[in-house]
Amino acid sequence: MRISRIGAASAATIAASALVLSACAAPQQESEVVEGSSITVAWNQPFYSYNSNTSFGNATANANIVYMTSGAFNYYDNTPELQKDESFGTYEVVSEDPLVVEYTIADGVQWSDGTPVDAADMLLAWAANSGVPNTPDFDPTEFTDPVTGEFTEDYPTDVVFFDGALGGGLENVSQVPEIDGKTITLEYDNIFVDWELVFGVGLPAHVVAQRALGIEDPQEAKDALVEAIQNNDAEALAPISSVWNSDWNFSEMPSEEDANLLVVNGPYVISDFVADQYITLTANENYVGENTPQIEEVTVRFITDPLAAVQALANGEVDVISPQATADVADALAELDGVTVLNSVEGTYEHIDLQFDQSKSGTFSDPLVREAFLKTIPRQQIVDTLIKPLNPEAEVRNSQLFVPGAPGYDDTVGGNGMAENFGEVDIEGAAALLAEAGVTSPEVCILYATNNPRRVNEFALIQESANQAGFNVTDCGSDDWGGLLGTPGAYDASFFGWQSTSLGVTNSSATFRTGGINNLNYYSNPAVDELLTELDTALEPERQIEIQLEIDRLLMDDAYGLTIFQFPGITAYSDRVEGVSPGPLSPTIFWNIWDWTPTDSESE
Amino acid sequence: MATFVIRRLIASVFVLLAATYIMYNLVALSGDPLEDLRQSSAPNKEELIESRIRLLNLDVAPPLRYFIWFGNVITGNFGVTVEGRSVNALLEQALGSTIQLVTISTVVAIFLGLIVGITTALRQYSGYDYSVTFVSFLFFSLPIFWVAVLLKQFVAIGFNDFLENDPQLPLLAVLALAVVSGALWASIIPGSARRKVVTFAIAAAATAAILTVMNVTGWFSSPALTIGGVAIMGLGAAVGFTALITGLKNRRALIAAVAVAGLGIALYFPFQYNLSFYVTEWWMLLALAVLTALVSGAIGYFAGGHDRGPVIRVAVFTGITTAFVIALDRFMMVWDDYATSGRIRGRPIATIGASTPNLEGSLWVQGVDIYTHLLLPTLALILISFATYTRYSRASLLEVLNQDYIRTARAKGLSERTVVVRHAFRNALIPIATIVAFDIGGLIGGAVITERVFGWTGMGSLFQNGLQRVDPNPVMAFFVIVGGLAILFNLIADLVYAALDPRIRVN
Repeated sequence: MRISRIGAASAATIAASALVLSACAAPQQESEVVEGSSITVAWNQPFYSYNSNTSFGNATANANIVYMTSGAFNYYDNTPELQKDESFGTYEVVSEDPLVVEYTIADGVQWSDGTPVDAADMLLAWAANSGVPNTPDFDPTEFTDPVTGEFTEDYPTDVVFFDGALGGGLENVSQVPEIDGKTITLEYDNIFVDWELVFGVGLPAHVVAQRALGIEDPQEAKDALVEAIQNNDAEALAPISSVWNSDWNFSEMPSEEDANLLVVNGPYVISDFVADQYITLTANENYVGENTPQIEEVTVRFITDPLAAVQALANGEVDVISPQATADVADALAELDGVTVLNSVEGTYEHIDLQFDQSKSGTFSDPLVREAFLKTIPRQQIVDTLIKPLNPEAEVRNSQLFVPGAPGYDDTVGGNGMAENFGEVDIEGAAALLAEAGVTSPEVCILYATNNPRRVNEFALIQESANQAGFNVTDCGSDDWGGLLGTPGAYDASFFGWQSTSLGVTNSSATFRTGGINNLNYYSNPAVDELLTELDTALEPERQIEIQLEIDRLLMDDAYGLTIFQFPGITAYSDRVEGVSPGPLSPTIFWNIWDWTPTDSESE
Repeated sequence: MATFVIRRLIASVFVLLAATYIMYNLVALSGDPLEDLRQSSAPNKEELIESRIRLLNLDVAPPLRYFIWFGNVITGNFGVTVEGRSVNALLEQALGSTIQLVTISTVVAIFLGLIVGITTALRQYSGYDYSVTFVSFLFFSLPIFWVAVLLKQFVAIGFNDFLENDPQLPLLAVLALAVVSGALWASIIPGSARRKVVTFAIAAAATAAILTVMNVTGWFSSPALTIGGVAIMGLGAAVGFTALITGLKNRRALIAAVAVAGLGIALYFPFQYNLSFYVTEWWMLLALAVLTALVSGAIGYFAGGHDRGPVIRVAVFTGITTAFVIALDRFMMVWDDYATSGRIRGRPIATIGASTPNLEGSLWVQGVDIYTHLLLPTLALILISFATYTRYSRASLLEVLNQDYIRTARAKGLSERTVVVRHAFRNALIPIATIVAFDIGGLIGGAVITERVFGWTGMGSLFQNGLQRVDPNPVMAFFVIVGGLAILFNLIADLVYAALDPRIRVN
């Protein structure tokens, strides 16, 4: 009885419910999801600062986003080669001695808020990245808040300090450059060969001036900024430098009143940013250059774990991944359907250096012993067993100075003798050289990273091979290898990676010049020093390559050491996108973001 | 008691200090914080190295650098990372996302663990008891990173594949699930062999029938409970809670519960098709839940007669359950829209992150999105911690059931329900309370691996990234917070124990 009463009661309540419903008009019954779609890319580190030229914001995760949202005079493609973007602006060398370069912004190029990009922006870029207006002898650390890493409130108001890419080369332009409309003329004090790599438009001058000087009108703000820089007005430059250093450090979407921080001049604009999760870029309506994006919206998700990125790709949550290449990642990717896997190389390369001086046992003071030892290095075997599983197309790198693929690499391989003389392991030849040098079982203590399994394996391979020729290879490996590099008397040879961040020709100077900061094996050859000095002022690309070819050859003649392999990179993308083609130099996968096209017609 | 607390706190602070000193040095000496820069061939390498040394005081040896760090921590700042980011800011974000990740899993694990533990204790040495013991130990011994990867492979990628093309459970799966459910119910419900067979048959048939209906109606692509499901569950909750808390003989309780459920059902259509569109913020949903509890409580109060307490409880539990089921149905209504949207593209279960980037939609869509993202990490965490709770609550209830006063209660003729719910259950919860307190303390630090595998940037990644970059500041921030919480909750556990059990004194 009770049950039926309950049944009757519920029937009544449902009827009542329906009755109540009929009395009220229901709101619209469309889909409750707001539509839109995007290509999603996984990156292993969160973005945290839009000014990647400061020491605070100097990280690939930031540089990638800046790259996609900024126009530039030039950029690296995947060859790698420097490409010019003349739809953004042009530059030409007006005079070689003294070196004078003129940069001109193309007509119609504008910031995303409609303000034109002009010489004021370039003047600010010069001031900030050259550090010329900085107050001399000012130590900013006294006013750095240890909590935030940013500057404290008692930071002096009359001190100018631009925390730009100091030491990068632009400090060679010590006079305030002349500007005219959309043109700036940089005059270098000394000839600086890598001038092409150090200058570009950074932050919008009008926004910096609006925020620093409290001027509303963009043009007035720019004029004030130009005046301040030209007159070296410390009082105005102090807040400008402080704004330039700190204001663009945001790790989530800026609030409404700070929206002008998002003013950019590139193919994309930042449209959404959730702290530590993702940042979304949307095509810039005000972009007029030729790198027009095909994909309306690019989202970069921050995924640290490489395997998690692979599974997210498998599940369709991300479309492009470029995780750290490990055997697990390669295996997992091979299992996936509808995914294209690209094996590529990264900018870092492994190499073995011999200590010319200050070594542990003095073994390598004798060139014959150096040559003998290099003959035993099983480079091909190392590549075959340790690198090929990750990058089937991996090859031995045969040049100290040239990045494989870059102009000059093929020539140097033909001429420097590294491939010819040390291409294959020659135990007998090495033993003969040792006999000629008159040494028996010379000791070679090798420094390497013991916390890196790949390097432990490399050491084992080298040790086995060299011992066959009569060397006595011992283990100087350490977790703290980085700190031990260059320590006198600590080791005889070392292998580790050098990271190339650009194709700048001055980069090699620090490594091979006598007493250079990266010259950790006390190498010294007056002929090389002389060539490096000439290289520093050789503006002709052909001449630069000639000099580098010559240095590469001299290094091999001295049995300096060997390069082994380029670090393997792995990129995988789903069938929703086409055109991904990573390069070895930053911004690796993103360099041709505007060439990526969506294949999924629904998501257009 | 004050002396006890103070003494404990002072001792703990010293332990924590010593631990931070050791930890700081271990982290600082674990590698080379300049390693990435040493490999660089950038032209301004020297400046970069110098600025990092200045930023992190690397020119001071770690045993002494600790004191610089300590000086800052006392004033409440945890310094900066290798990248120069503020650890305090990172910590704030990390704490938020970790709490979001672990709260639900903890609550669900405790809830499920208690229920399963209690039922296994009541059916000690049954097939059900043995199976649960086996399963919980199995999960307990699995490494979480492995469970997580398996979950992603099967529950996310595999299940999404299933959902993508016209989801229909195959006949074999239906039969297998029916058998499992039959066996489960047969081992839980006591009785003779014949009764067990009947139970098995009914449960298996019911499961098979429900699954077939789900297949036929395309439930997997557009799930719904409809008013029928809500009515069954609401009235079921009314009868169930009454039976559990007061016994069905208490007519006042039954009437109050059915009235509450009826009210919920009456509000079904108005809510689903009108009111719910005006619920646009989470606090509104919470306010509705509070309102439901108040209204149900009031109904219980007026229907309660002279023994109001239990009646109010029955009414409130029924009301909350009915409201929850209605809300669940409302979330289900947007499932199809959600799953087929351009952002999801038919693969709703997520393996990574806390939300779908750029998904915009109503509160209900956002809720479904949170659900699809929390599902896997929550499952992983529950599987691991479930074992502890079931084992402890089972052991604790069994111990209480063997006490003399339980025998007395039975001897004086109390019903089994009263004996278990009133006399045994409450006392069995006392030791569980301390375990729960411990666990809440350990939560923040306990999900390091889970966070990494599921791409959550919480406390775990703060710790792990710091360790990888040989960066003591974020690691120490993690350590101080987690260590401090552990100490605090240990203390709370002791105090709670003393408060609950009059036999214990803190002195």
